[in-house]
Amino acid sequence: MTTLKIPSPLRTYTDGQTTVEVKGKTVSEALESLVEQHPDLRQHLFNGAHELRPFVNLFLNSEDIRHLQNLATPIHEDDRLMIVPSIAGGGSLVDHSAIRTNQALIILLSVIAFILNLPWLVVLVAFGMAVGTALKFPGFGFVYRWFLKPLNLIKPDLLEDNPEPHRFAQGFGAVVLAIGAIALLTGASILGWGLVWLVILLAGLNLFVGFCVGCAMYYWLGRLEVPGFVRSPPENTIPGMRPKAKA
Amino acid sequence: MRLQILPAVLERIHSQGEAAYPEEGAGLMLGEISQDQRQVMEILTLPNVREETARHNRYLLSPQDYLKGEAEADRLGLDVLGVFHSHPDHPNRPSEFDRQWAWPNFSYLITSVMVGKAHESRAWRLTEDRVNFIEEEIEIVENTIA
Repeated sequence: MTTLKIPSPLRTYTDGQTTVEVKGKTVSEALESLVEQHPDLRQHLFNGAHELRPFVNLFLNSEDIRHLQNLATPIHEDDRLMIVPSIAGGGSLVDHSAIRTNQALIILLSVIAFILNLPWLVVLVAFGMAVGTALKFPGFGFVYRWFLKPLNLIKPDLLEDNPEPHRFAQGFGAVVLAIGAIALLTGASILGWGLVWLVILLAGLNLFVGFCVGCAMYYWLGRLEVPGFVRSPPENTIPGMRPKAKA
Repeated sequence: MRLQILPAVLERIHSQGEAAYPEEGAGLMLGEISQDQRQVMEILTLPNVREETARHNRYLLSPQDYLKGEAEADRLGLDVLGVFHSHPDHPNRPSEFDRQWAWPNFSYLITSVMVGKAHESRAWRLTEDRVNFIEEEIEIVENTIA
């Protein structure tokens, strides 16, 4: 038997016991033994696919099992196993004013680049979007944050939304624009400007219609269970459409 | 369901939200449970260990800090009742992200901090099926329960 320590919020399901004696040769078997004794614990420890929920940590003699062999980590009689909660949360809000300012500037600069035939400006826009993606903010959003918002020219539009799909959309746009820039610099003008216009159209669709193609792609990849694409669309929202619900 | 809290303790939670602004501040609430009531008697402010760029709308307490909270509760003869956190420049309703990461039986007290000033706190508890948060009435009491 191994002793498993139960954290405060789960003690309701163990009749108030702070520790439970469990059987098994691995962490996985020990947890199975625990939920056999206290079945109500299952849904709080595991998701539908029988994977440990991300906020459930297990420590074996004060070592995180993720640093050992995870659920397959072997355990012995005198080991102490501990369930420790990760406590996390926070507002999942996205300021759509920053995103729209970014789109407007991407469109404006790309159109200027096309009219004046300035491939270096395309490089600059692609670079701005790539830097924004890496640093997790809209690339030209600083124009909104530093000038438009403080001067009260544009009001924040905070919506209950996931920031990750927007980041993916911007990264996708940056890649398309970068390929376009390379095409322009190597003399493939039609392909180059074609890709620039593709980015202009997608940014325009997002700015004027509220449909983010990159975000829709993110959610499709999520449905195909591609690792890393974990967010679900906000409630009552078509994947890719701007959420209606105000925070 | 009710969450009783001493005015001085609520005051400390609000000051903590203001001190963390524009980032989210968080910590654990310790107290006593008697029948249908819970009373917050002590709070433990813990560091927000999320990366700096995400701290304006996310908080994360490390497992080690959580264990400190349980040890402190044991020492004081109390229970960990739940978590308090602030929503800088946002309403004190739980977000979808709050729900996905919520623990059952915990009270989640959220303080809206608008332009650096704590406005109001509301408390929430996850339903058993993990689908919704329901509001828990906050009662400000002068005396501790016997």
